[in-house]
Amino acid sequence: MVDELSFSFEIANLMYASHGEPITNCLQCGTCSGTCPAVEFMDHTPRLIIGMIRADLKEEVMASNTYWTCASCFHCTVRCPAAIDIADMMYALKRYSMWKGQFQDGLIGPDFSEAFVKMIVNSGRSFEPLLAATYLPKFSARDIIQEGLTATGLILSGKMPLLPKKIKGLKKFQEMVRRIIPIGEPS
Amino acid sequence: MSERIGVYICHCGTNIAGIVDVADVSKWAGEKLADQGVVISRDYKFMCSSLGQELIQKDIKEQKLTRVVVAACSPHLHEKTFRNACKGADLNPYLCELVSIREQDSWVHTDKVAATAKAKAIVSGGVARVIHHEALEPLRVPIHPATLVVGGGIAGIQAALEIADAGFRVYLVEREPSIGGHMAQFDKTFPTLDCSACILTPKMVDVGNHPNITLLTWSEVQKVDGYVGNFAVTIKKKPRYIKTEDCTGCGICWEKCPKKVIDNVFEAGMGNRKAVYVPFPQAVPKYPVIDDVNCTYYLKGTCKACEKFCPTNAIDFNQKAEEITVEVGNIILATGYDLFDARRIPQYGYGKLANVFTNLEFERICNAAGPTGGNIVLRDGKTTPKTVGIVHCVGSRDKNYNAYCSAICCMQSLKFAHLVRERTGAEVYNFYIDIRTPSKGYEEFYQRLLEEGTRFVRGKVAEVTSVARVPEEEGKLIIQVEDTLIGKQRRIPVDMVILSSGMQARHDSKDIAKLFGISCSADDWYIERHPKLDPVATMTDGIYIAGCAQGPKDIPASVVQGAAAAARVLGKIQQKEIALEPVRATINQDQCSGCRICNNLCPFNAILFHEDKMVSEVNPALCQGCGTCVAGCPAGAISGTGFSNEQILSQIDGLLLLNITQVAVPVDR
Amino acid sequence: MKQYAYYPGCSLESLGKSYNLSALAVADVLELELKEIEDWNCCGATAYFPVDELLAYTLTARNLAKAEKTGLDFVAPCSACYKNAYFTNSYLQKDPDLAEHINYALEADNLHVTGTSKVRHLLEVFINDVGLDEIKNKVSNPLNGLRVAPYYGCQILRPRKDHEDVENPQYFESLLSTIGAEPIEYASKTRCCGGSLIVTNRKAALDMVRILLLDAVNHNADVIATTCPMCNVNLEVYQDQVNREFGTQYSIPVMYFTQLMGLALGIVPGHLGMGKEQISGASMLAFAQNTKQERNL
Repeated sequence: MVDELSFSFEIANLMYASHGEPITNCLQCGTCSGTCPAVEFMDHTPRLIIGMIRADLKEEVMASNTYWTCASCFHCTVRCPAAIDIADMMYALKRYSMWKGQFQDGLIGPDFSEAFVKMIVNSGRSFEPLLAATYLPKFSARDIIQEGLTATGLILSGKMPLLPKKIKGLKKFQEMVRRIIPIGEPS
Repeated sequence: MSERIGVYICHCGTNIAGIVDVADVSKWAGEKLADQGVVISRDYKFMCSSLGQELIQKDIKEQKLTRVVVAACSPHLHEKTFRNACKGADLNPYLCELVSIREQDSWVHTDKVAATAKAKAIVSGGVARVIHHEALEPLRVPIHPATLVVGGGIAGIQAALEIADAGFRVYLVEREPSIGGHMAQFDKTFPTLDCSACILTPKMVDVGNHPNITLLTWSEVQKVDGYVGNFAVTIKKKPRYIKTEDCTGCGICWEKCPKKVIDNVFEAGMGNRKAVYVPFPQAVPKYPVIDDVNCTYYLKGTCKACEKFCPTNAIDFNQKAEEITVEVGNIILATGYDLFDARRIPQYGYGKLANVFTNLEFERICNAAGPTGGNIVLRDGKTTPKTVGIVHCVGSRDKNYNAYCSAICCMQSLKFAHLVRERTGAEVYNFYIDIRTPSKGYEEFYQRLLEEGTRFVRGKVAEVTSVARVPEEEGKLIIQVEDTLIGKQRRIPVDMVILSSGMQARHDSKDIAKLFGISCSADDWYIERHPKLDPVATMTDGIYIAGCAQGPKDIPASVVQGAAAAARVLGKIQQKEIALEPVRATINQDQCSGCRICNNLCPFNAILFHEDKMVSEVNPALCQGCGTCVAGCPAGAISGTGFSNEQILSQIDGLLLLNITQVAVPVDR
Repeated sequence: MKQYAYYPGCSLESLGKSYNLSALAVADVLELELKEIEDWNCCGATAYFPVDELLAYTLTARNLAKAEKTGLDFVAPCSACYKNAYFTNSYLQKDPDLAEHINYALEADNLHVTGTSKVRHLLEVFINDVGLDEIKNKVSNPLNGLRVAPYYGCQILRPRKDHEDVENPQYFESLLSTIGAEPIEYASKTRCCGGSLIVTNRKAALDMVRILLLDAVNHNADVIATTCPMCNVNLEVYQDQVNREFGTQYSIPVMYFTQLMGLALGIVPGHLGMGKEQISGASMLAFAQNTKQERNL
């Protein structure tokens, strides 16, 4: 048995349900990066990230913004000739990042996900205005105003919920959640 | 009277002796199995060595042994060795049994005590079984000196010429109107850039003229009966509607024919032919065929222009298909490959975007006798491209399509890059994952392409699109790819895209294999007998495979395989008769109820049914001793010589040590 | 009347309200009953997977378990909910270990899931279960050749590899032809709209939206039809932000496919949630309804 898990093993362990081939099968062909619609906004291409994982460059990978820029469109996954589920690997990297609290500065994704999770645990449903609190602080003043305008438009057309909803069976729901991970303990 | 059995335990150096206590096993056999008939038991370092064999031979003579059990490696390796050793000492080789205590024991266990006990059980099984062995004689069948070669591509042509040159008859069957195969479609061949037709057609002409080759084009095999050395093959000669004895190949008929048809076969859909046609000018044989699906006469009953103008009155619209049966001793299958259909990858745009071409289409463009007269132009037939993108690995190395590498596409792509540059001066991009240039002169060819200024981009093309995002992209085909060597996605506008589509097995390869009684792999290529050491033989005696039908390869390798298959066949013909392994199934006709379940179970079509006696019989020459019928017979009427019920059941008893103690006990530690 | 276990998803109650309205209205006309699953919870969309894999699947499994109790097919109008449900369902079937973990959690809510329901997207329910012929019979106001860009988006198609041409599907187009529209052929129809990136990486999402708009507009679309509330919001609500960022001037209406179907089936636009868009669909609507209105785009 190995004493220390290689980084690619650690990531593979966070991909439990998906049925793709292991990331070590990667041919480094670049189809994923050639397909990715968000690649222009990533500091490393998806293929490079896989290469870096295999080279155990953990710090560099975690410091990259690539996996938080992934939109989960799964186009890479369906085209990959080695049948690797790359988008799921991006999720695994996000999970690792959240778990270790390690990510690039100034990213909105981690805060957003955390807020989303807390929101669902507390009510069983999502509520957009609450989520705004996660990203507005990171926006420039101009963008905040812009967002305000968009939101106003939505409110006026009745598309923005003003009050959060809760599901009826919330208590049992929360017990269910706690059987997976112990978050949202009743305070 | 009990048998006199000699038991030999091999050390195999430390392979066996390192885990199994061979001396203990030998001693145990000599003592515990003595009442089974074991009169001598030895252990030795390397039984397969000449000294080891001599040990056995000496004992056979001195101890008057009637049976021999060797406990060593797998029978796949040395069964023959020990059988021959026995034969050398005048003991029937089939009275020798080799049991594996290496692959099945010492190589798979680490617990020495358990492994030794297991070895004892294995030896005991062998001894119990060998008592029931019978002396068998190999079956000798004569070899008919004629050969059938199926497929008139370069591999089939090579095989046919070699056998015919040695003085024996060859029947060469080809389903197209002419021989030549895919090689006839190419323009130049890598790495020498020889003109493909120039090097192929001399061989084609030799085939056409050879007194020993019976050329049957526009024909297909319908049925194969018989077995190695004695095949009876039924061939259907499709009607050409031309009387070949009168036709001079003058070509007036296709000149005058008014009906144009898109040629999807030879011209890859890029050009036309007539309803009466030869596929290409250098066709062998020179006789045309009439396409009765598109010919106006067959559709509407009119025209008949060819008949009117034929100077020798060689047209016969009423010609019928003909079936002939030939007798041959051996068969070589060289049926070639199909091209991967690039339409299966919609993101490459083939079929939707006009200027995306496949490799075969591009070959026809380059070919001087092709639809564009050898000019490299776009689909409009006039515009010369200024930039060309060549995409490697289309449909190959891809778990979504074909996982294997098609072996020749890298070289083919390099060849295209060179031809484009040479003839148009256009900018050429090659998009690859790896550059595979393994054979003689191939890497040098790649160097040449580098020197010519070809732009290599390492990245598998993600998309070919016409959606322009910036003005430079307007009106172009944009290749979207990650340039992996710089780690950036690039969008490269080109005028023409060439897809190097991979090779696939023929769409009907499974049916053909079934016809001949051989098997296909998971990718539908024919399966060779051994991938390393026997690539042209199959598991069916007398049937050989050659060329791309066995897997993707280049022209030299196809030629080599054709020649290799021919050499094997010639060797068999020289021997005049062949000895077949006597391990076969036999049907006890008294017990056979005539249910015929076994007939369809046999993967080698080796079971005949006698209508008059209402019983089945196994043809010993075709039977490979697989045992399927033995298991399938509901009456238990089939027995395998060399694998009889008695032999197997007593081997099981021996493994359980029932022959020693009356009760199966856990192996004693 | 065929019944389905309907899972609207959180967006359909707020941002995607018109989708819900039009879906239910259309289902009614086509004689399908969409019975809302009792007390369903949020499926977690794409925001849960970055936190915990098992919990993400469990959220959806709770909804699947409830649907299983009814014995009806699980139908989701939102592509993200659909994708989550489809894969949770398929993993539950293939992976008994996963099923065990999830069922242990569901036990706390007195639920059990087996992964045996069929998970469907609303678009394909209409096409396969009602059938194009039946829909055509009920079309009273064919859309007058309205040029519609069918926007599939990603999660309705991917990462499934097991169905009709994932790279170039045509079923949405055939539905649009049936209701009298002219579906336009454009390559970006399966390209991602950015999804939740509109929140977490605004610039990236706006660029992705820009490319979709560019392609649809270059092919002369009158309107873009969507199959997911997230896509709809990204393409419509943020269209003017795209213009601000890139200096473009797009103003193309974006409608849900159910709204277009509803129009063709003769349902009053108000009942389809129309009239409340950020980008007015008025002229498109007028054209589709055969008034003398000129194409005004």
